Amino acid sequence: MGNKQVIIEVGDGAAIPSPRDKGLFTAWRISFFGTLAIIAYLLLFRPDPYLDIIKFLPDGIVVTFQVTIASISLAIVLGLIAGLGRISRNRLFNLAASTYIEIVRGIPLLVQLFYIYFALGHLIRVPDMLAAIIAMGFCYGAYMGEVFRAGIKSIDEGQTEASLSLGFNRSQTMRYVVLPQAWRTILPPVGNEFIALLKDTSLVSILAVSDILRRGREFASESFQYFETYTMVALIYLLITLILSKLLSILEDRLSHYEQR
Amino acid sequence: MNNANPIISINNVQKYFGTFKALDDVSLSVDAGQKVVVLGPSGSGKSTLLRTINKLEGINSGSIVVDGQDINDPANDINRIREEVGMVFQSFNLFRHKSVLENLTLAPIKLKKEPKEQADRRCLELLEKVGMVEKAASYPVQLSGGQQQRVAIARALAMKPKIMLFDEPTSALDPEMIGEVLDVMVTLAREGMTMVVVTHEMGFAREVADKVVFMDEGRIVEIAEPNQFFDQPVHKRTKLFLEQIL
Repeated sequence: MGNKQVIIEVGDGAAIPSPRDKGLFTAWRISFFGTLAIIAYLLLFRPDPYLDIIKFLPDGIVVTFQVTIASISLAIVLGLIAGLGRISRNRLFNLAASTYIEIVRGIPLLVQLFYIYFALGHLIRVPDMLAAIIAMGFCYGAYMGEVFRAGIKSIDEGQTEASLSLGFNRSQTMRYVVLPQAWRTILPPVGNEFIALLKDTSLVSILAVSDILRRGREFASESFQYFETYTMVALIYLLITLILSKLLSILEDRLSHYEQR
Repeated sequence: MNNANPIISINNVQKYFGTFKALDDVSLSVDAGQKVVVLGPSGSGKSTLLRTINKLEGINSGSIVVDGQDINDPANDINRIREEVGMVFQSFNLFRHKSVLENLTLAPIKLKKEPKEQADRRCLELLEKVGMVEKAASYPVQLSGGQQQRVAIARALAMKPKIMLFDEPTSALDPEMIGEVLDVMVTLAREGMTMVVVTHEMGFAREVADKVVFMDEGRIVEIAEPNQFFDQPVHKRTKLFLEQIL
């Protein structure tokens, strides 16, 4: 999990290009093409065992994505509710949201995962995959709540006042005026949470969910080729997260169109 | 002052920010079609007073009746009352994610369920009126301050309000842009709009106001017609203020 300090970039104008994005040799390109080159090298010149390993992993990639997408969807819904709760004037709603965030942030994800899996299993029989998704979504929803809160807070109060003065009520103001603008601020940290969540889904391999890591473990324990297997697993994770972070920055550029002169 | 049916009636209003008394026993009535200019040093409570009229600020005691409805009575829907009361802000507050035309049409389409084509047509006419029709497709960040403020006035007018509130509409503008905004306001005044304007533009007050309200330290010190106010102010505090600014 690591530290989850939410950093929101509040820009007045267009996104300032980071120094990493300048020139031919960006950190992203070096990482991405380096990773591709290593994978290509291993597959071409060391097909045994790497070709076997990589053939074994795609099922896991699919599962990893399924868990990630389902969990992030749940997390966004919970996060929006928690974020709105944190800025709500309704004391009860506010308190409930704050308490949710406090509790979830105080328990390690792995412990939550075990707890929801076994506690839920105690009450009702839940499929492994569903338990994993609920646990991941529940946990990330709390972090997402802080992202939403900060994003909403970043929108100038004048926007709300202008909307209210036209006759919009508070929830219409949120829906038509504040949230559409807050997305621009919220998207980068949500994207980062998405990537962080994708990596954290490797924890669900413990719950008998056949994600990339668990597929790797299965292969390694049969072939005893631990080093080779985990090398490939790491490269696959790296490749996926690099592609996602690129997609994210493209999306951010698109979203910033109305900020540009 | 003694009109039986003023469109805005502010009665003995008290307003605190914490322990700070922002409005102290303020009473004021505005008739339909009247233009009232509120003057006063900064911190005198004039913006606060304006913002209580559409309940952007609540009040601690007293009452405010707008178009026959007590706005602080929970039985009255404040959102419907606000549709009748347009507001223009010092910092424009155009919706940054919407084009100029969309800024105008958003509320009529969503709140009054006006068909989009009709709203577009009507709002383009309003933009024409404030001289901004050629910027209909632009976004607020692409406009100068004066242009943004003219669009903001048109946006408020798009809801066909009975009353327009102006909260220091030219204070954030470069001097060369003040004129274009005042021109729009003067035109609006000539058309008979009921207006309450907080401003430092004395020329505007003299030319347009039916009555000038002078505030200091949360109180209304003097209410007078512009000629009398500027030429023969009654109160010492008013004289001092006029000496300082003229």
